[in-house]
Amino acid sequence: MMLLIKLFQFMLMFHAFYSTNSNPSKPNVILMLMDDMGWGDLGVLGNPAKETPNLDRMASEGALMTDFYAPNPLCSPSRASLLTGRLPIRNGFYTTNDHARCSYTPQYIVGGIPDSEIVLPELLNKAGYRSKIIGKWHLGHQTQYHPLKHGFDEYFGAPNCHVGPYDNKKQPNIPVYRDADMIGRYYEEFKIDKSGESNLTQMFIEEAIAFIEKQHQTGEQFFLYWTPDASHSPHYASKSFLGTSQRELYGDAVMELDYGVGQILGKLKELQIENNTFVFFSSDNGAALSGGAYVGSNGPFLCGKHTTFEGGMREPSIAWWPGRIKPGKIVHELGSLMDLFATAVDIAGMKLPADRVYDGSSLLPVLVDDKMNKNKTIFYYRGNELMAARRGMYKAHFWTWSEGIPTLHLEYCPGMQVEDVTTRNLTNHMAQPVLFHLGRDPGEKFKLKLNTAEYKKGLQFIMEAVIEHKKTMIPGQPQLNMCDKGIMNWAPSGCETLNKCLHGPPSNPFKCSWPV
Amino acid sequence: MELKTTQIVVIIQCVWSVLGNTHSHGLPNIVFLFVDDLGYGDLGCYGHPTSSTPHIDQLSRNGLQFTQFYAASPLCSPSRAALLTGRLSPRTGIWPNVFLPESSGGLQHNETTLAEILRVKGYNTSIVGKWHLGFGKNQQYLPMNYGFNSFFGTPFSHDMCPCLKCFYPSDPCFNQCDLYYTGCALFHNDRIIEQPVDLTKLEDKFIQKATDFITTNAVSKTPFFLYYSFQHTHHPQFAGHRYRNSTLRGSFGDSLAEVDDSVGKVVQLLKDVGVEDNTFVFFTSDNGPSLRNKHRGGNAGPLKCGKGTTYEGGQRVPGIAYWPGMIKPGRSMELASTLDLLPTIVKLVNGTLPRVALDGVDIRDVLFNSGKSTRESFFYISPYSTPDYPIYAVRYKQYKAHYYTQGSSNTDFTHDPDCPETHNRTKQVPPLLYDLNQDPSEIYNLNLDPAYTDVLMRIDDIKREFEASLVWAESEIGKPTDTALEPCCAPGCSPFPSCCQCHTSNKLLFLPGL
Repeated sequence: MMLLIKLFQFMLMFHAFYSTNSNPSKPNVILMLMDDMGWGDLGVLGNPAKETPNLDRMASEGALMTDFYAPNPLCSPSRASLLTGRLPIRNGFYTTNDHARCSYTPQYIVGGIPDSEIVLPELLNKAGYRSKIIGKWHLGHQTQYHPLKHGFDEYFGAPNCHVGPYDNKKQPNIPVYRDADMIGRYYEEFKIDKSGESNLTQMFIEEAIAFIEKQHQTGEQFFLYWTPDASHSPHYASKSFLGTSQRELYGDAVMELDYGVGQILGKLKELQIENNTFVFFSSDNGAALSGGAYVGSNGPFLCGKHTTFEGGMREPSIAWWPGRIKPGKIVHELGSLMDLFATAVDIAGMKLPADRVYDGSSLLPVLVDDKMNKNKTIFYYRGNELMAARRGMYKAHFWTWSEGIPTLHLEYCPGMQVEDVTTRNLTNHMAQPVLFHLGRDPGEKFKLKLNTAEYKKGLQFIMEAVIEHKKTMIPGQPQLNMCDKGIMNWAPSGCETLNKCLHGPPSNPFKCSWPV
Repeated sequence: MELKTTQIVVIIQCVWSVLGNTHSHGLPNIVFLFVDDLGYGDLGCYGHPTSSTPHIDQLSRNGLQFTQFYAASPLCSPSRAALLTGRLSPRTGIWPNVFLPESSGGLQHNETTLAEILRVKGYNTSIVGKWHLGFGKNQQYLPMNYGFNSFFGTPFSHDMCPCLKCFYPSDPCFNQCDLYYTGCALFHNDRIIEQPVDLTKLEDKFIQKATDFITTNAVSKTPFFLYYSFQHTHHPQFAGHRYRNSTLRGSFGDSLAEVDDSVGKVVQLLKDVGVEDNTFVFFTSDNGPSLRNKHRGGNAGPLKCGKGTTYEGGQRVPGIAYWPGMIKPGRSMELASTLDLLPTIVKLVNGTLPRVALDGVDIRDVLFNSGKSTRESFFYISPYSTPDYPIYAVRYKQYKAHYYTQGSSNTDFTHDPDCPETHNRTKQVPPLLYDLNQDPSEIYNLNLDPAYTDVLMRIDDIKREFEASLVWAESEIGKPTDTALEPCCAPGCSPFPSCCQCHTSNKLLFLPGL
């Protein structure tokens, strides 16, 4: 009798799985990448505010990855690594203008994603996926770096952060694109009010829902890269979310993003394609603590964005795939946004190209089959320098840094001073790396004593991987060295139709200055 | 026909009584799961990345998780007195600091405890675990004198005695603790049954005792109050066979894993014996994390400092309310405290509130109706508070004003200069002001911002009013000490204190005067 019931249950599941899609396509992939959201911002990760009911539910229906990292403590390199599966030092999203400096893509940057890099949608297209990016691109704004030239089929969003407003004389406002052409600019057609009111997140949600519905109708599998940036300063939220959180505008933005996550997951369920869609939620780097009191939280971790302490790179991360990932799972395997590249490729039934080094591996073994890889290593870079490495529970800092130019008064570790660890200036520890056991001490406060058996063993375990890493490291051509005010978003494609072309200064390339 | 509210209530009550017909008494059982020195950030469900607390996390998912829940004091004895009496430590005389094995004072017998109130209502009452509200001459301050029908546990923290063995099979404790006191005594009611107690087997004994108690009462359909007061996760951490080296978090993680296992067993048992839908479970901690032994201590998450201090890390603790069918699962940002449990439960069982000044409020509306807390303020009283320096800080709505700040030896290793003992009592004029919603880490002081002048004035008024009404009882902890008062299973033996050794096999060892 039990057997019969089991069999019946199995048939029901089987039916549910296939009935929604008579022609079983490859699973869809949705990557949701937040901007400057911290590990400690989610209720399920201990935030005292009550802002993320949808993400908390997503975690209870999926897998919470506690030890998941951004490949870099800053947006552009982190995003470039997600979409190429390779560290910034390989894909070129770093600078050599100075030692160990973070760099990104403001609109006067000359560089962007090189053609030589294989961007995720380029691969997925070969497997029959249709790809869309909604939100912030940040892999270069010049024509040759446009997402549609790097594998995406559709685009709604902007090449840079939504900072502004600018005067359109010294600096143009950031353009918003639909597919190949711009359709307006931030603070102009796409309003962000001084009070922080903006409908942008709602637009990003609607775009996502429409794309999912359209793809469902055509029956073509899809890759959605959903990357709204409301949690990046200046924070914004739409009217119905303003003042609804206990953390001012930042909390309101989080609540609206959380709402969006709920809408998207809800749509998948409504269309009964949740069993055939892999969804991953994460953030591009730690909370930007240098912004003062009105920013995100890195929970128990040290420091924030820009730094290679845990607060700078450990991300709130949830994998969701009903029917494949066991609900409520907690995963301690080390992971990185770069693993998502390999995971998506795995889901699409493809192999990683063999002509280059990849820095991630598929998460499906641990997520779906409970096979944990304990040998993974996380490499923490700032610019061209390997600052730290983690393997297992041990993390070694080879270099430490916590402040840029003192006159800027940017506090990357507010209220957290650990002697010899949160050093203000770039400090070399290569002779005796600072070692932490992150299991016992996630906050990186208690250095392991030098010369103890544990120190030696832990360091050796890390160094094995670091030596191998350095031996095979061939740095890519740095893309973030040169700047030029003449190439800002003065006249993006499509500006003629809108009569929104601006005239910038003539091209005058200069070496970018990266003060922090 | 329109039903009136009262009619609906009657109908609900009828349905409830039919559904709950296994409970002829109609009174809900009460279970406190009270952990020692567990910080706000120590549990998986409160954001610890490596703790292994699947059962507590599940309790939280199926219960109401508080994010603004406060222990009544940042230290053991005063916090425990407040839990059982609903009164702050100055009123009960449990100040300053904590009881020692040689203390002659204890919780005064004229205080009314929750156990006493419930016993009057027909409850069977038991404490399993740590007491820490005094011992005294003729054991006059043990739990049996405060409404508990049974006691199985220890009178003090397990560092207030020599620490011999902490980890299975026979690994030493991190340090030797207080070598000058008698061995840690395990009591069954008024009798020492083991001295020094084997810490590696202690949790097994506790859960067995708790299991027996719940089962017996469920079978006899007697309403019960179980105060399960864990010895864990106070230092030195210890762990038995199953949990030694079981977690990613080292010895603290192992200690916490034993708690988690027992929590899971209690909740499962309530279900198995059919009383789950008639039992109010509350999980919390006596104070914030001890941060004196580096990583061998708890975690306050994003909060500042820890045990012994009146910063958030000292008093904001995990709080989880669980009652399937009665408490809707979710998260609550309502302000609440261990002080509120007594008045809430007394109302719940239709009992009689003691006719004394209470510092708690009835939070039934928060628990059962997702309502608002009537608590608008919370008073932080330091272990160093005296009638001359009474209130260290006041929380009003989301604002907190620090009138005095002081570090504690319990938070010596935090890398924040405000936390360790070297931070002497400092009067703050004007008081430091923080918006805890925006800034739970207490980093951005707002006291000079004119926009908050009104808030500070309002807090001043609240504080003045409260201080005027606060009557300080004589200090029980300040009473003279006497080494002869220490628990000893072989009274008069020599050489004292090391001769106080008895084991379960040496049955029936009585103490003087019994």
